[in-house]
Amino acid sequence: MNADLLKLILAGSLVTALPGQQSLESDFRTTGPAVVAAFEAQRAVLQTSSAVILYGRSEIGYGVVISADGHILAKASELGGARRLSLTVDRTNHKDVKILATDPEWDVALLKIEAAGLVPVVYAPTSDVPQGTWVVANGASTRTTRRALAGIVSAKPREIPAAGGAALGVVLSSKTSALEIEDVNENSGAREAGLQKGDVILSIGGMAVKNIEDIAEALKNRKAGGSVSVTCRRGKRVISVEVRLSAKSEMFTDTMNRNDMMSGKFSKRRSGFPRVIQHDILGSSEITGGPLLDLEGRCIGMNIARANRAESFAIPVEELAPLAGRLMKQAAGAAAHDKQPENAAATPPDEPK
Amino acid sequence: MLLACASLTADARPYVNDKKAPENRKDLEVIQSALAAALPKARAATVCIELDEGSGSGVIVSEDGLVLTAAHVSTGVNKKVTVILEDGTRHQARTLGLVADTDAAMIRITDEGRYPFVEIDRENGTRLGDWVFSLGHSGGFDRNRGSVVRLGRLVRVANTTFQSDCILIGGDSGGPLFDLTGKLAGIHSRVGQQLQVNMHVPMSVFLENWDGLLKGEFIGEGPFAKKPVKGGGFLGLATEARPGGGLRVTKVGNKSPAQEAGVKEGDVLRSLNGTKLESREQLRNLLKEMCAGDELALELERAGTRKTLTFELGER
Repeated sequence: MNADLLKLILAGSLVTALPGQQSLESDFRTTGPAVVAAFEAQRAVLQTSSAVILYGRSEIGYGVVISADGHILAKASELGGARRLSLTVDRTNHKDVKILATDPEWDVALLKIEAAGLVPVVYAPTSDVPQGTWVVANGASTRTTRRALAGIVSAKPREIPAAGGAALGVVLSSKTSALEIEDVNENSGAREAGLQKGDVILSIGGMAVKNIEDIAEALKNRKAGGSVSVTCRRGKRVISVEVRLSAKSEMFTDTMNRNDMMSGKFSKRRSGFPRVIQHDILGSSEITGGPLLDLEGRCIGMNIARANRAESFAIPVEELAPLAGRLMKQAAGAAAHDKQPENAAATPPDEPK
Repeated sequence: MLLACASLTADARPYVNDKKAPENRKDLEVIQSALAAALPKARAATVCIELDEGSGSGVIVSEDGLVLTAAHVSTGVNKKVTVILEDGTRHQARTLGLVADTDAAMIRITDEGRYPFVEIDRENGTRLGDWVFSLGHSGGFDRNRGSVVRLGRLVRVANTTFQSDCILIGGDSGGPLFDLTGKLAGIHSRVGQQLQVNMHVPMSVFLENWDGLLKGEFIGEGPFAKKPVKGGGFLGLATEARPGGGLRVTKVGNKSPAQEAGVKEGDVLRSLNGTKLESREQLRNLLKEMCAGDELALELERAGTRKTLTFELGER
């Protein structure tokens, strides 16, 4: 399907100047304050159990409070460098934000602040609710007050495969027949693993590779967020590293299709999730990451991407709860191993820093 | 009579529509349960419409497969399209009429069958502020996802346009907008840059033009469909008259409709839409009466065997 040709006219002058028109005041529209007021009970949950993540003074994401002593889940790829982050829970701003662990497959980071007596979200028993069920999520926030936005579950829960397929994040030289790396993408697993310009790729996942087709074959059934062993020749040495795979479209300049162009802002990482719930809560910005609540105020998932102007994705609670557990365990393990650098696992063994 | 009364009660307008805003949990649950009750039928009747140049959405409104969509999705009259149902089954269909200045169009599924369908709001019963829901195959058909449902309110009402805050995106065009009782209120047409600007064609536009749509008329002149011009079609081949009758193909244009249909240099054209071909001028005159997008049946002879190619004229 050629997405460029999908039908929807982007109306310019056609939108205004309608004869004999009546209009509903903005307060009473679906995202208007009068309607949102009906969701006060759920908003109160967002007030205490969601976090607003700030970089300087600008909001860059929302978080899910999962422990009384300050563990918070957030969308990892939106955090940028860990420095200068602060976050607000209820009315208190916390400046001591640490990133304890991340899960690249789900793009979730476990944050920690020094706090006590926070109110963690209550997980719903299931996210398997009928389509059309009300859900509530964070909207633009003020310094002291969380805003709620409401919408509905919009489509079947499903996997969102990595757009463009899973890739290492290297550009290969066209000058030689060998698979010589010409460039390493900045945000790639290849960069994290220490692959360099000039390295020649010999095998991927135990499979010898001689040309681009072999690489495509070796990566074909792998998923973004997973990792694969890559063996390279560097000068006279042969090195093996474990490389995290990312969606190709998220590392290299994504060609925007017509739907992207009409979408305003959207999440940089919006594909490559094992399973999501889709809903129609769409704030005016791409900021995401907070809890998705049902009318009981229980957490049925965590918002993870604004895919475009019409589609938001959330990690279902069935996957979120164990993921939170794994990240907590990983963080505890790292603490026990005493002050290892946070990305120790990603550093190739033959490249001591 | 009794039955009619019973169905009237079931379709009763939910009271939440007459509140300025929902006030409590009960109001929200009324919206939610009305939507949940209406959704299965609405979804079964919502289709993806595939054309050569992309895809849109539509909705079946009669058991024998009449589909309503947008004029900018159907793009023309009497064109072959494919209709895909929610379960993935594909059916042949043909475009009927359209209204070019308001973006309304009709399609008929030509495969015989009994199709799931929805009821049209014939009383213009949808009012400003009413809760509505949209369905559509956003970005094309995706079986794992299904059609996508979004909830909103009718925020602007004008003679030939509804605006709602059900957010639409490419691929939704032509798809249905329903009221909370599951009656078809409008067809998705266009969006603005802002998320709140989502425009639909009200059912009144379809009902006023119903007979013309059914007859396959191209109604109005407007931005949503280009009226075909006679003689504007493009075949893409050169011929010469041949002593034994027919026209010999001397040249086939690269990527022309003729080439894509399989016409080759040296073929002898015998007839066009049933008319025997004798001279170049005659062929030219036949084409002058046709438009871009018109279907033609070209009978030709190659190495002693005759066959008929069926394809559409391109745009000049």
